[in-house]
Amino acid sequence: MANILVWAESRGGELRKVATEAVTAARALATATGGEVHALLTGAPGIASQAARLGEFGADVVIVVEHAGLALHNPEATTAIVADRVTTGGYRACLLPASAHGKDLAPRVAARLGVGMAADVTTLEFANDAIVARHPVNTGKVVATVSLTATPAIVSIRPGAFTPAPNAKTPRVESVAPVVDPAASRVKTTGMTTGNATKLDLGEAPIIVTGGRGLKAAENFKLVEDLAAAFGNAAVGATRAVTDDGWRPHSDQIGQTGRLVSPDLYIAVGVSGAIQHLAGMRTSKTIVAINKDKEAPIFKVADYGIVGDAFEIVPVLTAAIRVARANH
Amino acid sequence: MDQLTVTNVAFLVLLVLAAGFFSYNVQRLVRYLGIGTATSRTDHLGTRLRNLVVIGFGQGKILRDPVAGPLHAGVFWGFLVITAGSIEILVQGVVPAFTYASFLPRPVYGLYTLSQEAFAILVLAAVSALLWRRLVVKPKRLQGDGTHQGDAIFILSMIAALMVTLLLMFGFEQVATHGAAPGLRPVGMILAAVFSAVPEGSAHIAFRVNWWIHALLLLVFANYLPYSKHLHVLTSLINTFFSNTSGPGIKGAMRPMDLEAEDVAVFGASDVEHLTWKNLLDGFSCTECGRCTSVCPANLTGKPLSPRKIIVDTRSRLMEKAPLLVGEWGDPTQLTVAEQAGSADHIVPDAIKLRLANTLLDHYITEDELWACTSCRACVTECPVSIDQLDVINELRRNLVLTESRFPKELVPAFEGMERQGNPWAFNPGDRAQWAEGLEILTMAELAARGDKPDVLFWVGCMGSFDDRSKKTTVAFARILKAAKINFAILGQEESCNGDPARRLGNEYLYQILAKQAIETLDRYEVKTIVTSCPHCFHQIGNEFPQLGGNYEVVHHSTYVERLLAAGRVPLADGDGERLVVAYHDSCYLGRYNDVYDAPRETLRRALPVVHLVEPPRTRDRGLCCGAGGGRMFMEEKTGKRINVERTEELLATGAEAIAVACPFCMTMITDGVTARGSSVPVYDIAEIVAGRLAR
Repeated sequence: MANILVWAESRGGELRKVATEAVTAARALATATGGEVHALLTGAPGIASQAARLGEFGADVVIVVEHAGLALHNPEATTAIVADRVTTGGYRACLLPASAHGKDLAPRVAARLGVGMAADVTTLEFANDAIVARHPVNTGKVVATVSLTATPAIVSIRPGAFTPAPNAKTPRVESVAPVVDPAASRVKTTGMTTGNATKLDLGEAPIIVTGGRGLKAAENFKLVEDLAAAFGNAAVGATRAVTDDGWRPHSDQIGQTGRLVSPDLYIAVGVSGAIQHLAGMRTSKTIVAINKDKEAPIFKVADYGIVGDAFEIVPVLTAAIRVARANH
Repeated sequence: MDQLTVTNVAFLVLLVLAAGFFSYNVQRLVRYLGIGTATSRTDHLGTRLRNLVVIGFGQGKILRDPVAGPLHAGVFWGFLVITAGSIEILVQGVVPAFTYASFLPRPVYGLYTLSQEAFAILVLAAVSALLWRRLVVKPKRLQGDGTHQGDAIFILSMIAALMVTLLLMFGFEQVATHGAAPGLRPVGMILAAVFSAVPEGSAHIAFRVNWWIHALLLLVFANYLPYSKHLHVLTSLINTFFSNTSGPGIKGAMRPMDLEAEDVAVFGASDVEHLTWKNLLDGFSCTECGRCTSVCPANLTGKPLSPRKIIVDTRSRLMEKAPLLVGEWGDPTQLTVAEQAGSADHIVPDAIKLRLANTLLDHYITEDELWACTSCRACVTECPVSIDQLDVINELRRNLVLTESRFPKELVPAFEGMERQGNPWAFNPGDRAQWAEGLEILTMAELAARGDKPDVLFWVGCMGSFDDRSKKTTVAFARILKAAKINFAILGQEESCNGDPARRLGNEYLYQILAKQAIETLDRYEVKTIVTSCPHCFHQIGNEFPQLGGNYEVVHHSTYVERLLAAGRVPLADGDGERLVVAYHDSCYLGRYNDVYDAPRETLRRALPVVHLVEPPRTRDRGLCCGAGGGRMFMEEKTGKRINVERTEELLATGAEAIAVACPFCMTMITDGVTARGSSVPVYDIAEIVAGRLAR
């Protein structure tokens, strides 16, 4: 029997999706070892309200540490709190998300405790008394399998790699005072600036529809936007030629000098596939290309290619997606 | 000898004071140069003397401008001749009886007086024309970058005044002596005729007055120079002698850099004391003519970079900081210590604090200027006094990347790709030789396995290996090699980026890792001759690898194919092929870096005997960059017009039916430009044109 601790990340008083993913991953481990899942929830006063939600995904215990000094990312204090809990709670492992904050915290905790760590893992299992994790290296070209035999093990899990699975429990909630004074940290986060939040971020969107110069004019981007809207969870990207011509903002650019993306589905409309564009989207899981020129290099990387006029094909595709989603 | 009069003594005192002040300033400026780092510039004396004669005295580069060039050359050569007369005039101020006539043979002295008159007229005419340009024509290149317009007008006016007083002296001397002055003096005679009404006594006074004005102007002129941009009068010949921009050494090769040196506090340069004394002398030698900026592709398309400003800023910062470092404001070590300690014991005046706090990088030259550079070498090629603007830019970039880790964020994937995958786009290294599948091209490893070696190694390069368009060039070149029965091989998956983009982007560390790996691979196979279709690889491996101990004969495919064609080794189809109108676009790294201009053109002519080659106005060593050099291929171009569009418009304006390139980066940029202009003119690599003519 071994318990698993999860650091449940929140932002602005709200639990992040990665926290439920981490609890789900921990639940699977704990079930295999016959232990419990404990979630450590740190944040500003009031964060305790999120405890119930952690229970929905299988947390048996939620330890709440509230302090005004924990409202924003506080790496020093949070490291001390997590490390202290890992030691005193006698956990087999501590899971953190490999998010911006989690990537900062996890190695700090591991170093503080002098224990082993697996970073950015995509699968986790318990085998022969060891925590076995897989994580992609060399920008995803190789997957390494690591086995953490010592206790405790620190693991950061890749956001999106574990699908949150409901496993309703009514967690016991413990309120604990921080072991260090969060207000005394030498590093202070003074504020958070968020980017354009109204749009789905290109880096997070599971589906991206990208328009190239083949669309001929800025106003024709409506075709691409309609297709993205039909999916509901798609973002709109653009090629360098398009952003250079001012049809789309530079922040929409996908490619070597723009965003490097790897969505589940990438639809390239009127994109020739210049080397600098391919460098930014080549690793997408499924690539669909629509282009008039069957010689276009984009077809070399595409899983599905449609040779033809985007102005005819895209509206048909959009309508089909709408119908499919309506009937789903 | 005559007794010295009071006047002669007074002039002697003035002369000694002027000479003393001049000498003080020269020593001061030389001391300022001393704050720079060492660089050896006394090797290859022959080449240096050649540069001095051809570029310096011969005005070789200044004459590239068909208008201002001859005018400047007139003033320059005139000054050389007239200086002989100025010496005579200054000596006469002390020893009135002194004259060259007393020891020169009569005909020689006659020629001397004639030359003085003729060149005085020539200089006056040229200076008037130059003043007209400054005041009325106002060419764009003479404006901007905080140039010193007043300074220029003042100097030109002073030269004009010197010539006017000189000519008036010649005239009144003839009147005063009734035409008895020795030597050939036709101008003096004509002027004497004009002044014939002036009585002898008045003429004598007029002569003396003009003599005094002229002599005093000479002394003022010499002493004004150290405070003026016209310091180039004193330094440009020296600068040309010490410069490496036209050789000796390899043109455009970046400076070697010892990353292991433990005593180095900063990598690259963030301030003037990190630059070499030669970079600083460049600052003294710049007279702000703006030829560099007028040919800069970044500047032409509205980017913040101006190579002239880089040099003017270097000089301004030198004049601000050097006085502190050479101790004009007190013991420099004390100043720095006091400033750093914020010590109350040492009250550091605000003026000094400000000077200490400033740096060349950021306070004078901004990051945006530095990253706008395409390293095309147009500025360096154009500079009449052989200033090396690019060397300063490269050193500042190195400082940004190596010391400060400050660079545009879009470069991160390129650096990481080179480091991890051996190519800037992070393509799978395993796919490097995919283009060769089915072509029966052997790798070095395969040959080595059977104990064999090829005659040449075809270094494909990252673009040629991964870019779909460039792969066609690669295949075309390989087909030509096969058709010519060349015993060649490729490295295949063992080839990796040679680091050139990293080096150009200031990331010397990454460059050296990649270059050393490449050298290891090449040496393991005992490679001697390399041929490549990428001018950047060509320059890097051939010209910069020797710095790291890699010595190979590297030939660019334009030269290689041209040689094969000339030797009749390439079996071409019968007939003359298509009568195509082709504009060839010069690659900077082929042209200005390596002087390869004729080979690609000759290749086209030999493969397509009926080809009609057309040239855009900017061509050969004046060719405009495509915009991708200096690592710009991996950066955004957000400001101004896109360079590739500007260049493509020039190429399309020739009426060409096809554009030919000899560089994969140019291929991408010009193809994009053609698409952006909505044109359907095809862009070919020269190898593709030759391959298209191969006998079936």
